[in-house]
Amino acid sequence: MTEQVGAQPVSAHKDPVVIAFANEVLDGFSDVCRSLRYATFLTDDGFEVASIAGDEKQNRRVASMASSMQALGDAVAKDLRIGGAEYIIIAAETGYVIQMRVPEHAMVLAAHFDAAETVGKALSVARLAASNMRTLVQEKAA
Amino acid sequence: MAEHVILFAGPMGAGKTTAIESLSEIETIRTEATNTDRETADKDTTTVALDYGEITVGDEDKVRLYGVPGQRRFNFMWTILKERAVGLVLLVNNDAADPIEELDAFLEEFGELHEKGGIVVCVTRSDVAATPYLDKYAERIREVMPGRMIPVFTADARNGDQMRTALMSLIANIEMTAMIADSQERAA
Repeated sequence: MTEQVGAQPVSAHKDPVVIAFANEVLDGFSDVCRSLRYATFLTDDGFEVASIAGDEKQNRRVASMASSMQALGDAVAKDLRIGGAEYIIIAAETGYVIQMRVPEHAMVLAAHFDAAETVGKALSVARLAASNMRTLVQEKAA
Repeated sequence: MAEHVILFAGPMGAGKTTAIESLSEIETIRTEATNTDRETADKDTTTVALDYGEITVGDEDKVRLYGVPGQRRFNFMWTILKERAVGLVLLVNNDAADPIEELDAFLEEFGELHEKGGIVVCVTRSDVAATPYLDKYAERIREVMPGRMIPVFTADARNGDQMRTALMSLIANIEMTAMIADSQERAA
């Protein structure tokens, strides 16, 4: 997501207000979901906006990988002519990762849950977090 | 039918996506996102996973063309795609802040592909920045990869004929490397 400030576009990962929003949403996210191990908001082109848990290096790497995954998901969906990829789930042995697009923004939420959570609940809270982020960013723009 | 996997690598804005687009016989697969890093390259979108295209060479040899993202933060894609590749088209935009340093960095990262098949270097955007001249690139290649035959071309990534010339040169090298390896194996 890129917003105009005067003539200079400010990307979400460099905008302190958007970063504060992302931190606020992620804090609420971890409160309602105990199985959440890690989460990050990232720009479509792979820059970390904000994260909970994880070290700095890991956060940057996850943001890049999640960006690639999202783009590959979009490419598959486009090729099959089924629209954009709203979310992606990676199911592993001891947990899973959900990637959820922030609606109408070039931003993605990537969240890692442990196996104790049901996919349905994780999907539901991830969708809520992405939706909250959209609301905050839109309120700022308005 | 032989199949070759060729990587297109180079800095952001060098023309990798465009080169694959101008070579491919199929509709290319692109994974582009809005570019928020305007300081590095002033363009609207950037590749974040890969580009993919195909071209047939000769009667039936299929060449799979993979473009990798230019930014180092996507270097996990470099590792994944490098494993399958037998050759590299390295594109360097001549109007980069320091194109020779870019050449160095990408040769260091992808230089092993020379042993697997071959490398060609395509200098793009020399219409925008005339220098450094090709001999500077050739000289630097001799310094960092002595004894290796790595052709250097100027090319417009939008020009399919120019890109095809570079690609054919690479494929000739790859086939020669394979023949030499084959004859050495038989002699052993």
